[in-house]
Amino acid sequence: MEAMKTQDVAVNDLPWIIDYKPERCTMCGSCVATCSFRSIHVAVKRRALTVSEEGQPKPVKRFEARPVIEQVASLKDFCRGCGMCERVCPNDAIKPVRNPDTRKALLSKDNGPIKRGGRTNLNAQRTLDSIVVGRISQMTDPSLDAARHTFDIRAPFGRVLSAKELPFSIEGGKLVQKKKTPPVHWIYPLIFSDMSIGALSTRAWEAVALAVGYLNEKCGLPVRMSSGEGGMPVNLLTSDYLKYFIIQIASGHFGWNRIIKAMPKMVTDPAGILIKIGQGAKPGDGGLLMEAKVAEHVQAIRGVPKATLASPPNHQGLYSIEESVQKMHLSMNAAFGFRVPVAIKCAASATSVSVYNNLLRDPYKICGGFFIDGIQGGTGAANEVSLDHTGHPVVSKIRDCYLAAVKQGLQGEIPLWGGGGIGMTGNAAADAFKMMCLGANGVFVGKVLIQLLGCIGNEEGRCNACNTGDCPTGICTQNPRLVKRLDIDRGAQKIVDYVLAFDAELKKLMAPIGNSSLPIGRSDALVSTDEDVAEKLGIQYVC
Amino acid sequence: MFKMETTKGHDRMSTQDLLLAIEEAVLGGETDFEIKASGQHDIGGPLWHPEGKKLFFHVWNAGQRVGSMALPGTEILVEESTSADVGWLNAGGIITVKGDAGDTAGHCSSGGKIFIGGRGGTRTGSLMKHDPLYEEPELWILKSTGSFSFEFMGGGKAVVCGVDSEDLPSVLGERACVGMVGGVVYVRGHIGTHPKDIVAEPLSAEDIAFLRGGMGEFLAKIDRPELEPELTKWEEWQKLRPLTKAEKAEVGTSRMSMKDFRLGEWVKGGIFSDVAHDDFEVHNSISHGLYRLRVPEWQNAKYAAPCEWGCPIGIPTQRRYDLIRAGRVDEAVQLELDYTPFPGSVCGSVCPNPCMDACTRRTIDEPIQIGRLGFLSAYAKVEGPKEHTGKHIAIIGGGVAGLSAAWQLARRGHDVTVYDDAEHIGGKLEQVIPRGRLSHELLASELKRIESMGVKFVTGCRVDREKFDEIRKGADATLVATGGTKSRFFPWEGVEHLTMGLEYLKKINRGEHPATGRHVVVIGAGNSGMDTCRGAYEMGAESVIAVDVQKPAAFREEIEHFESLGGKIVWPFITEKITAEGVYGKGGAFIPADQVIVSIGEEPVLDFLPEGEGIEYFRKSWLVPKKDQSIAPGVFTAGDTIKPARLTDAIGSGRRAAYHIDRFVRGEDFAPFPEKERIPDSRLSKEWFAKCHHCELGDPIDDHTRCVSCGTCRDCSMCLESCPEKAISRIEKEDGTFEYVSDPDRCIGCGVCAGVCPCGIWTMLENPEPIKMYSTGAKA
Repeated sequence: MEAMKTQDVAVNDLPWIIDYKPERCTMCGSCVATCSFRSIHVAVKRRALTVSEEGQPKPVKRFEARPVIEQVASLKDFCRGCGMCERVCPNDAIKPVRNPDTRKALLSKDNGPIKRGGRTNLNAQRTLDSIVVGRISQMTDPSLDAARHTFDIRAPFGRVLSAKELPFSIEGGKLVQKKKTPPVHWIYPLIFSDMSIGALSTRAWEAVALAVGYLNEKCGLPVRMSSGEGGMPVNLLTSDYLKYFIIQIASGHFGWNRIIKAMPKMVTDPAGILIKIGQGAKPGDGGLLMEAKVAEHVQAIRGVPKATLASPPNHQGLYSIEESVQKMHLSMNAAFGFRVPVAIKCAASATSVSVYNNLLRDPYKICGGFFIDGIQGGTGAANEVSLDHTGHPVVSKIRDCYLAAVKQGLQGEIPLWGGGGIGMTGNAAADAFKMMCLGANGVFVGKVLIQLLGCIGNEEGRCNACNTGDCPTGICTQNPRLVKRLDIDRGAQKIVDYVLAFDAELKKLMAPIGNSSLPIGRSDALVSTDEDVAEKLGIQYVC
Repeated sequence: MFKMETTKGHDRMSTQDLLLAIEEAVLGGETDFEIKASGQHDIGGPLWHPEGKKLFFHVWNAGQRVGSMALPGTEILVEESTSADVGWLNAGGIITVKGDAGDTAGHCSSGGKIFIGGRGGTRTGSLMKHDPLYEEPELWILKSTGSFSFEFMGGGKAVVCGVDSEDLPSVLGERACVGMVGGVVYVRGHIGTHPKDIVAEPLSAEDIAFLRGGMGEFLAKIDRPELEPELTKWEEWQKLRPLTKAEKAEVGTSRMSMKDFRLGEWVKGGIFSDVAHDDFEVHNSISHGLYRLRVPEWQNAKYAAPCEWGCPIGIPTQRRYDLIRAGRVDEAVQLELDYTPFPGSVCGSVCPNPCMDACTRRTIDEPIQIGRLGFLSAYAKVEGPKEHTGKHIAIIGGGVAGLSAAWQLARRGHDVTVYDDAEHIGGKLEQVIPRGRLSHELLASELKRIESMGVKFVTGCRVDREKFDEIRKGADATLVATGGTKSRFFPWEGVEHLTMGLEYLKKINRGEHPATGRHVVVIGAGNSGMDTCRGAYEMGAESVIAVDVQKPAAFREEIEHFESLGGKIVWPFITEKITAEGVYGKGGAFIPADQVIVSIGEEPVLDFLPEGEGIEYFRKSWLVPKKDQSIAPGVFTAGDTIKPARLTDAIGSGRRAAYHIDRFVRGEDFAPFPEKERIPDSRLSKEWFAKCHHCELGDPIDDHTRCVSCGTCRDCSMCLESCPEKAISRIEKEDGTFEYVSDPDRCIGCGVCAGVCPCGIWTMLENPEPIKMYSTGAKA
């Protein structure tokens, strides 16, 4: 007799079920030793049978007991589906299989709301995938040759003045600039965005930074990286590479002590400052770093003890858009002698256009970019309810903001950058291209970078354990035993290769529409097979 | 000779008319054509003479695509310059343009030769090809080309002589050879940039031979023979060709490696070197030693086995079976006697064996026969204590609690005297438990064994307050273990009719044959109630009925025995009144009886204890001891003086009191009685054990094969044999004990050992060894 309590948690309540083939297993222990989530263990199973072999009922007892790999039926140590067991198994004896009947979300709220990392799992539908680049230059006008043509692939970071506002005059037959203009950097239209030291392991953060260094120095692509809100490594702040990095300030203001202290030792200016107001993965929430990941260096850089760090949902000193412009933009501009452009990032929202309009009206011309982050953005940790049930798609928001600027003739003055789910289905170049055609000056990516480093998480519930500190790939953890799994050079190389392909692919899309500069606002190049999407975005509906 | 003027006054002949006229002439056998064209396209091809004769075209003012699709056997001489696409798709014609050619000269040609006496336009030579069945196409150009020349070139030979081009930044224009995968471009003069997959290199002997061979013909065709000396200075030439597949593979890896970049150009030591001490070594998902995620720990005997935990005395039966399994039966026998002096009388006879209720084996098939195993130690001899402390300990009460304490204290080398008011020592075992349940001979033997430890029994000694003071003064510590000696009853109507159960049973055991009715009712159906019922039958009662307010608390075997004698239990029965006729219950129930015996428990009689010392009581009857079981300085208590319980509880209580008394008389500070947690069932691997049928149970001593040995290593070596890394070894120590150890340098922390361990010894812990990887960045 084997019995159980029906209300006990069982393996078939969990989101993933370990598919195990004992006949293939040699009990080498590799899967169990590898699993960082403690989701499998060794157990013993017995098979006791009474059989008869003589053509008449003559009982013979057969008994065998043997060790097996068994899934742990636990809402805490549940299998995340990361598949490391499958990767390490020499005999194809084990793998996680998605359980459509999971009751995990229902059952695991005994200690309050569920927290996890990753992207939204419910709103993963993709507007961009119903859009194609449908206006191909053929008989009407010559298309360009992606391989041969020279393309101007640069986007502004900084406040761009309209021609009539430029403080030029002619004196004695010479063009003279009468006063200072806002700083603008023309950079690659792909920013590596906002993953903090703490959210990422030291190795993962450095791998991304290293890729940025390499792309700039060795490939001539001026890709920039935003620090995230966990501060910046002092060695980087005081190196010449700082010029490739955007320093973020978010509501927690973490890490700024070391940034400010490093100022006298800086040999160059940073590429920019990004004020993070909100993020697409969890709008209305501040940053969240679970205690398990607040290692000693994170404590030191952030100036906090080992504890779960929840940034406030708002910058505590800001109460309005105007105040944000006057105080935060001003302070950040002033910090670097008004030489460094300052931009702002908000979660996409029903109110994004109002915010953008306000920024456009700013008389001080001090806002150097509006970053809109959509619901499909990723995060290292958030309440699942925020991830899945709050947010706003970014595509139409970029379009609305762009058109709002166009209406006032102000397009391009405050660069629009869009992010959140860029590259989600593998091709960030196509996503970026479409976003630009709809009005974005550039895009920012995060999740896709760590996926290139080796993250196997996805928006269908795979892994998403970035918050636990148990990341099996050493990316989102501060456990040295796991961090050591990450090959920083290989990871950085993968990012570099991806961006080089991104660059080639972007040209492949620019060429057929005949653009040799970025196709900002060239919505005529896009068509949609979805009538509603077409109508909302003002592009041609095709079928 | 076919001659054609294509303009007459203001009339110009269309391309179509011209080409149809030429075709008709060719079909008619014409071979020589002189055409004064006016921009007509496609002159010269594709045409073939019906008899295979050569065709010659001399053309002035040709339009686009002169010589397009020309076939072998066609030669075209174009005077002056011409428009775009000279020799487009040329399949074998010899085409000479004396002046400049327009854009895309030689575009897609894959046969024949094209000679240009001037410059070529943009995309000259693009998409030239070579079909291996035929000879290579050639494209000779005297001066230079426009930009994007030789794009996507797949085969053939192009020669750009660079005459009159000294001032040009590139004789091939901008970005020549993009997408070129085959063929070769010979060039004299400056060349601009070219793609990385194209290589520029000096001429080989073969190249020179080719150029020398063709140069004369080319210059002759375009009427510039005088240039030959100038154009045959081969050191001024170079050639462009695409990299071979092997060369491309090499170029592919020629980009600086990320590691070299990191070590050579990136921030020295890494950007986190102040706060993260990282060697950047990359580990596999599986590590040994320090980097294992988890480590095994051999937690032998950390937890109590369920039997041990369930036993109020705490007898670790799993250890007895481990000794038996190892062939050390004598040690197993002695081990039990370390815990109780009554393995036969209590464990084997009267104890309900809560150890067996808790036994893990019960969850598989049948519990281990722990009770009966007690008989193994029943008559065993025990050596006396090796040392004597000279401490005197007085124990008041010779029941199991007192005797348990006496046994423990005597074996610890103290002088122990037990006082009891009865004639015979042994308390309830001697006085109350029916002889049918407990062999008197066995009890006597076990009592003797206590005495053999040097314990003095003083019987028939009534202790009053005065006597207590005397005893206490003469001892270093005193234990009050007088138990419950007064039958309890409620103030029912007619209590004067009651017979006191305890006294009744005592009389039976003293052989006094107490008066017994024919029809007896016993109030109370607990174990003592059942003893009373059993006694009444033994004393001759015809019928015995036990009543109780609740479900009978007696052990099942006791009830079964009573019922087998013909007894009945009535419950719930709430007694209200007792008369000479019987007993009345609530709601009018009546059971006729000529004797009603009350047996609902006993309470202590403690009138000998001193007043004014702050001794605490519960309901004025029971003692409330402190955590070291003391009730007053130097005075301790154990057993039913604290609360009524089973005999085994009293033995356990005595054992714990002995522990505290021992520490007290040795002048040691209080320390809690050592107790272990019960091993969680989930730690055990019971699956190794096949279920046995209850009828297959053998001698209790043979149960060592069935005992899981919960929480204590049963030395089966499953772990050692199962470890995939062969990390585990068994170490035998000099004192006869052993240990299993896991070698960290081999162990990967997989937990196979923990998984297969039947006893739950191996435990996987998160690797506790710290790795000092991160710091605040403070300078050391």
